[in-house]
Amino acid sequence: MPRSAPVILVLLTLAAVTGFAGVSHLVARFTANQQARGRKLYQQGLGDASAGRYDDAISAFRAALTCDPANSQYQLSLARALRDSNDPRRLDEAESYLIALWQRTPQDAAINLALARVAAHRGSIEDATRYYHNSMYGVWNSNPDLNRNKARIELIQFLLKKADSPQAESELMALAASLPPDAVAHLQAAQLFAQAQDSAGALAQYREVLRLDSRNPAALAGAGEAAYRSGNYATALRYLRAAVNANPEDGNSRRLLESAEQVLHASPFQSHISDAERNRRITAAFTQAEQRLNQCAQQTDIDLKATASPSASPFSTLQSLWTATKPDLARLRSPAETDLPDAIMDVVFQIERQTATTCGPPEGLDLALLLISQKREAASQ
Amino acid sequence: MSDLVTNAPATSQPSMVRLQIPTRLFSTLEGMFNEEVFFLILCVFIGIFSGLAVVCFRLAIDWMHLALLGPLPQTHGWRLFAVPSVVGLLVAGLVIRVFPGIRGSGVNQTKAALYIFNGYIPFRTAIGKFVCAALAIGSGQSLGPEDPSLQIGASIASALGRQLEISREKLRLMAPVGAAAGLAAAFNAPISAVLFVIEEVIGRWSAGILGSVVLSAVSSVVIVRWFLGSEPLFRIPVTTFKRPSELIAYAFLGSVGGLASVIFAKSIGYLRPILKALPRWTQYFQPALAGLLIGLIAYLGAPQIMGAGYDSMDQAMHGQYAWKFLAVLALLKILASTFSFVSGAPGGMFAPTLFIGAMLGGAVGDLERIFFPQLTGSTGTYVLVGMGVLFAGFLRAPMTSVFMVLEVSGNYEIIVPVIVANTFSYLVSRSLQAVPIFDLLTRQDGLILPSLEEDREEAILRVEDAMLPVPATILSAQDYVDANTRRVQDSAELIFLVRMHPSGWSIISRDQLERLFQEGKGDHMLGSVLPSQFLPSLYPDLPLDSALRYVNDYPLIPVVNRADSRRLEGVVSRDSVFKKYGSRRAMEVQTSA
Repeated sequence: MPRSAPVILVLLTLAAVTGFAGVSHLVARFTANQQARGRKLYQQGLGDASAGRYDDAISAFRAALTCDPANSQYQLSLARALRDSNDPRRLDEAESYLIALWQRTPQDAAINLALARVAAHRGSIEDATRYYHNSMYGVWNSNPDLNRNKARIELIQFLLKKADSPQAESELMALAASLPPDAVAHLQAAQLFAQAQDSAGALAQYREVLRLDSRNPAALAGAGEAAYRSGNYATALRYLRAAVNANPEDGNSRRLLESAEQVLHASPFQSHISDAERNRRITAAFTQAEQRLNQCAQQTDIDLKATASPSASPFSTLQSLWTATKPDLARLRSPAETDLPDAIMDVVFQIERQTATTCGPPEGLDLALLLISQKREAASQ
Repeated sequence: MSDLVTNAPATSQPSMVRLQIPTRLFSTLEGMFNEEVFFLILCVFIGIFSGLAVVCFRLAIDWMHLALLGPLPQTHGWRLFAVPSVVGLLVAGLVIRVFPGIRGSGVNQTKAALYIFNGYIPFRTAIGKFVCAALAIGSGQSLGPEDPSLQIGASIASALGRQLEISREKLRLMAPVGAAAGLAAAFNAPISAVLFVIEEVIGRWSAGILGSVVLSAVSSVVIVRWFLGSEPLFRIPVTTFKRPSELIAYAFLGSVGGLASVIFAKSIGYLRPILKALPRWTQYFQPALAGLLIGLIAYLGAPQIMGAGYDSMDQAMHGQYAWKFLAVLALLKILASTFSFVSGAPGGMFAPTLFIGAMLGGAVGDLERIFFPQLTGSTGTYVLVGMGVLFAGFLRAPMTSVFMVLEVSGNYEIIVPVIVANTFSYLVSRSLQAVPIFDLLTRQDGLILPSLEEDREEAILRVEDAMLPVPATILSAQDYVDANTRRVQDSAELIFLVRMHPSGWSIISRDQLERLFQEGKGDHMLGSVLPSQFLPSLYPDLPLDSALRYVNDYPLIPVVNRADSRRLEGVVSRDSVFKKYGSRRAMEVQTSA
């Protein structure tokens, strides 16, 4: 037994170094063993998760984490399984795992995307937007452009679901600017524009798809519908005809095509028609409006004659207006009466709008007249 | 059979004799190291060795657990029964036949080593504790690894101290220093470990003790983090405390926690002596029976109660369980931990205490939020606070409990709820169970160790308690003897205080004064002829014990003001001091009767 303090300290240091080396060896072996076991459990969890067996997946990922507690991939997978298990109580735990991972690597796009999805599950627009943006501008290990666009599309879908159209549209514009020349990507963007009720944007994207794949039936139908929704019936007619030719089973396009044809045939405001044709269309519209008014009154048990007082109801007012305007039809041929077609059609439009409000969406010529009315109104605004 | 007495070496053992030899070691240091410096360096090595041992201990528990039960979420049904029972038999055999000093948690054994056995803990204890606690905890006994780590650290330190033949005074300190290192490594929380050891084992603060304990704790934590990473025991959720009015909710949690602590402590306190009193052969089967009961609970749907349960605490913290299940888990853990502990299986109480507190905290928090939805604290916040609550109520370590929660959570925001809840828990527990659990266990083992809680709460007698009023006649050293003689003629007192110049006090008896006068010294100043010069003085706030040093030598001792030593507050005499001690003793006898 040495009696000198320096000697003792040297011996203690040697003992500590030896112990350190021994424990290092033990820890390394134990860790390797555990990691192997963890990998096996992790693979099992991945299989369960991909098959939608989230409870089993969670159990397997937890077990894997008991073997390798610091493994980020296991934590991320467990967090995803917890999030996707549709159990709101598990969202907290999922978030906790993800926040811990995020604190270690805040630039990791996959972690940010997972956090964004948790926030989206919670319905938090602010958090979801922040994490989706982090994900878009973060570091992806593979296919960064594709993954960024996917993240942006997911954000747009979330925003549309939450009815936040302005923010969705700004994201859509950014998406449109960053899309590769790929028909599928543009088609998806066009559908999102349509979902956001931005028909012009949707039409532009469908045209881009058709530039890349001119026979794409979904793009033809979408472009037709987008043009139809934006009141561009001539363009709609062209795309919808092509869509119906490409896919005769497409009922929606066929219905829109018929409606667009009717609008083009019924509108007295078409530039290339003769005066006689214009007058005929006005007269037909005027007659149709009265029929629509009577049908709607009947449908809703409104007696137009009994309520003839001008202030009695909107229907009786319109009936009175229609009756008062009817004599003007005879003056349509006069070249001096330049404002008369607009005045008569204004009565028609008032009746169509009122009946649409009271009796529901019209069909056939009434629908065409209502669409013409809406287009005129939009143009005047 | 006592858990503690088996640790005791006979005072004539070689190692103890060696301690009495003058410390030859330090005579050869040639001024490089004095004993203090050497001891502090030694504390670092104790921390390193304890840290290494605890790393191995944790690996052993994990390995045992995986080998015996498999990863818990996938444990097969039959293993839940078979493993704890069979391993329980093995552990019982080892504890009874090979390592008789390792029953229970290890905290008391360490305390006993400090107070009774001059810091002696056999190294065999470390080996036995390591093997048996790893087997017991790994097989699912509802016990924790912290207290065994504490004892392993203490045992290593004690063995090292004996080998190096350090002084008896330092050897006594080795066990607590090692204990702090072991506990810090197990908890990955050095401050809590230091506080616990000082609060519950050593019981006093001094710069030397604090320095050595801190050094060992920090070095062991560094070692553990080196090997096992610095990940905390739990993933801490977002904790919130927004409105002070919510403290009422935490106070309620503290009260419930205090009650749960009492139930837990009383269950152990009641069952342990009964089981120990059973025939010796039954002790071979007690851990197996406890394991069987725990396996049954696990099989019936609560495998969370097996082992230390940190994974389940983590899940509770993240709202994985409904409040009813949390409450059931708390109750079942009390049962399971009581079974395991009273059966004599080696393992600690810290982890079960945290588990019960966590589950109870989550249950109470969730329940409170059902009735008061405006409460903003998350489940995780209540779980964290609940952990501290049981720690304060059951282990009766209020300071450690607060710092432990702070250290584990790394969140200062919840300090106020933690303090409030812990205080309520501590008060409820103390009012319903006078003797803390560790003291109760040592008394059941037939040992009377100093109760640090009692010391803390003992009403100290002070000088002012025994103080008599200022005497009517006080003489002045600057007056002549004949003037002072005239002044005492009308007084009935026999002893007089003399005010010295410029400060201080002296004393003279009537006889002495009259004798001076008769000797013709009437024209002398009293100060120049006083038979005794300066008298020690006391302050009113000093412990009364400090008066004992003087009462036999002086009939009166002045008690002066701390701000002005010439200002007399009163006097104490031998009679007044002893009378006070007498009345205190009579009161204690009356109270205990």
